[in-house]
Amino acid sequence: MADTFLGGDVGDAPPEPLEDEGRRLTTSLSTSCLAVLIAVVLGGLIMLMSGENPLTAYTAMVDGAFGSKFALGETLSRAAPLAIVGYGTAVALRAGLITIGAQGQVVAGAIGALVTAQFFESAPSAVAIPAAALGGALFGMAWVLIPALLRAHFSVNEILSTLLFTEFAALLIEYLLNNPLKPPTAITPQSDPYPDNGILGLVIDGTRFHVGVFVAVAIGLLFVWWVRSDRGFSYDLYGENPNLAQSLGISGNRVIVNSLLISGATAGLVGWIQAAGLLQRVYVEIASDIGFFGLVVAFLGGATPGGVLVAALLFGALQSGGLAMQSSEGIPASLSDIIQALLLLGFSIRYAPQIIRLTRGVMANFTLIGKRRK
Amino acid sequence: MTSEPGADPATGTPLSVRGVSRRFGSVQALANVEFTLEAGEIHALVGENGAGKSTLAKIVAGSIRSDSGSMSLFGQPYRPTSRREGAAAGVAHVRQQLSLVRGLTVAQNLQLGRPGAPAIFNAASARAEVERWSDEFSLSVPAETLVDDMPLAVRQQAEILIAVAWGARLLILDEPSSALGPLETRALIALCHRLRSEGTPILYISHRLPELAELADRLTVLRSGRVIVEGADVRAADLREVATLMIGDVSLLEVNRPEIERGTSRLTVNDLSVSSTQEIGCHGLNFEVAGGEILGVVGIAGNGQDSLAKALTGQAKLASGHVVVDGEDISGSARQAIAAGVAHLHEDRSTGLAAAFSVADNATARHVRSGRFTRFGVRLADKIARHAGELVERFQVRPPDPAARASSLSGGNQQKLMAARELEKNPTVLVAHGPTKGLDPEAAKAMRDRCFAAAQAGGAVVVISADLDEVSDLAHRVVVLYRGRVTDAFPIEDMTSERLGAAMAGLTETMGATSG
Repeated sequence: MADTFLGGDVGDAPPEPLEDEGRRLTTSLSTSCLAVLIAVVLGGLIMLMSGENPLTAYTAMVDGAFGSKFALGETLSRAAPLAIVGYGTAVALRAGLITIGAQGQVVAGAIGALVTAQFFESAPSAVAIPAAALGGALFGMAWVLIPALLRAHFSVNEILSTLLFTEFAALLIEYLLNNPLKPPTAITPQSDPYPDNGILGLVIDGTRFHVGVFVAVAIGLLFVWWVRSDRGFSYDLYGENPNLAQSLGISGNRVIVNSLLISGATAGLVGWIQAAGLLQRVYVEIASDIGFFGLVVAFLGGATPGGVLVAALLFGALQSGGLAMQSSEGIPASLSDIIQALLLLGFSIRYAPQIIRLTRGVMANFTLIGKRRK
Repeated sequence: MTSEPGADPATGTPLSVRGVSRRFGSVQALANVEFTLEAGEIHALVGENGAGKSTLAKIVAGSIRSDSGSMSLFGQPYRPTSRREGAAAGVAHVRQQLSLVRGLTVAQNLQLGRPGAPAIFNAASARAEVERWSDEFSLSVPAETLVDDMPLAVRQQAEILIAVAWGARLLILDEPSSALGPLETRALIALCHRLRSEGTPILYISHRLPELAELADRLTVLRSGRVIVEGADVRAADLREVATLMIGDVSLLEVNRPEIERGTSRLTVNDLSVSSTQEIGCHGLNFEVAGGEILGVVGIAGNGQDSLAKALTGQAKLASGHVVVDGEDISGSARQAIAAGVAHLHEDRSTGLAAAFSVADNATARHVRSGRFTRFGVRLADKIARHAGELVERFQVRPPDPAARASSLSGGNQQKLMAARELEKNPTVLVAHGPTKGLDPEAAKAMRDRCFAAAQAGGAVVVISADLDEVSDLAHRVVVLYRGRVTDAFPIEDMTSERLGAAMAGLTETMGATSG
């Protein structure tokens, strides 16, 4: 009924369009670009309304994101974890799974990395660093294992279960940092300092450009391989059309469990990078909002290698630029948050039909609420 | 608003199309089309896929504009520039892909985008209105069920109902029956007759000829954008001749069943039971199919056909029994079924193809995880495209572009693409589920030929279908499914409508084992 807009350019011999809903989650970069543009323009309007000059503000942001060695290092170090989470989430997304548990998996990964690093405290760095990375990845995977199995064997909606496990992770880390992992001298909840032999060094002094950036590059290359690989194709096929994939001998359960485990492992690695590279200690807020923004990055980037990279850089730049804008121009960094929120909004409108369908799927899981539908 | 059907003083001819042409790029979709829809008639517009039927419908509805020519609506000059304008003038276009919002109820859809609807949705009055119209036309369209939760036939009725409630003075139904079963089609025909008697003329677009005899008053044949026959009396017309005019080739409707040599048994189904939460499942099926033999499995849709198709292709977990292909038990393993050479033409192209993927990816998808076309686990795009190009050529998929999206192909070509994937090699067993469903005559013939070719190459073919013509065209032998059990089995020569009807309605004594 609203297709007046679609008028003119419809060709003859209408192909009976097949439903390609699955794929619509992961395509159309151009609309993502549009969302970015709209967010920037709306953000400018909001600045105008609050009496700031948008040009000054945006100049300061760009300058703060790319204008100096420090700025660039800051942008990259913020973009790296987002990209890593984004790549892992994209694997699941391409397989048709909406995992929103990265946040909890980052927390679990940080705990796993810290515990492993403490175990290898006296080992050489060449052992301790990979061991901690593995520990982080394994904890991240462990954190998604139950949702994955529930989804595969009992069709339990992964959106709900992974969100729930994020909550568990938040509670767990609060408990751990107040009790077993808390050094006796500490007043606020935190862990011992991260063992020295496991610290990821800075690449360029005077910046926060740390080894995690290289991990992001490596994961990015792996993701490029994945997208082109036969196995990756079989997972994509499952995401696009589960019935067809299963009729071609692809095991749906394996796709579900493995792709969620991959996403958990990458999020776990981010936990390791946060603990070993940036903060060098584990705090309750160790994951910041990386898990959630990583999801946005995966969605906004259309779950493609290039798209995720660009989206991660964009969010990294917005975050570092926003802080720089605050310190240089005195314009509150919350304006940058507003732009990020607008981006999120723009992209959620883009995905509105999917989100509505998902919400209804979730609702249908609650039979009581489902009854409303008569 | 003028929402009472027939209340409008329909002065003048409802629709007159004069010299309308439309070109898309290099394709002349419509050339100088002359067409008149008279008051109180159902006018069938027939033609092959791509003949220009839908283009004409869209021009009349206002969604696209003609390059030249003129139209008049109820005696007034009519040149809509948008579908909204067309709707305001009283033209409603119910399309193949229904345009109801699936996440809303019928009552909500009724008010959504309705010309002159109040800004605030009044649930009670909308519900009452849906119920009133539903009663008026003796339908059972639920006002407050989500469109998503309604069967396709009811969605369609809802859309027609909404069009009428919005004050449509002229209805265009575009391939309305292509996804409907026989009973649902009857209900649709009844609804059309009812609308006609209320004074609403209908332009009915279809390529299913048999139902037109019953439905329509006159018919117009389009071929390659040109009107071949304008406004012939349906009752006087010879449908065989109409088919010829549509496609310009007589042989298509006359199926030449080739002589096929019967081999030894290749497919053995033994005490097969599948329990399914979604449908009836199947219970204790026994049959054998020899190489070169085509077995038709008939029954009203929903009597276990899906479970059977899944079981035969290794996709269903069996509650009991075995599916044996050339002595190898493939029960419950799609991978084994593929390795044993079982091919599967899915009933529904939306489950049988990866719509958003390229033609090349679809054509070669059967090789996924086989190690073919890969190096170091990476897919070799060039090799895949080249191989797909050959397949697409062999199976005459149009356009033969490996990079095109599967969803951009027409229905017939999607079916050919699925056949290209499944029948690249001669299958040991072909499970063809509704292989010609919804296809134009040319594509349907191509699919029939694929089934014959599979049998001629020594394969055992199982055609599962609710379309009796399809089965009688193809099969040597028939089994009838009713509530997941075989109720009758006979060679095709013994097929009579009485016997079939009794078996499909479950009036025949249930047979335990049947084999040929």
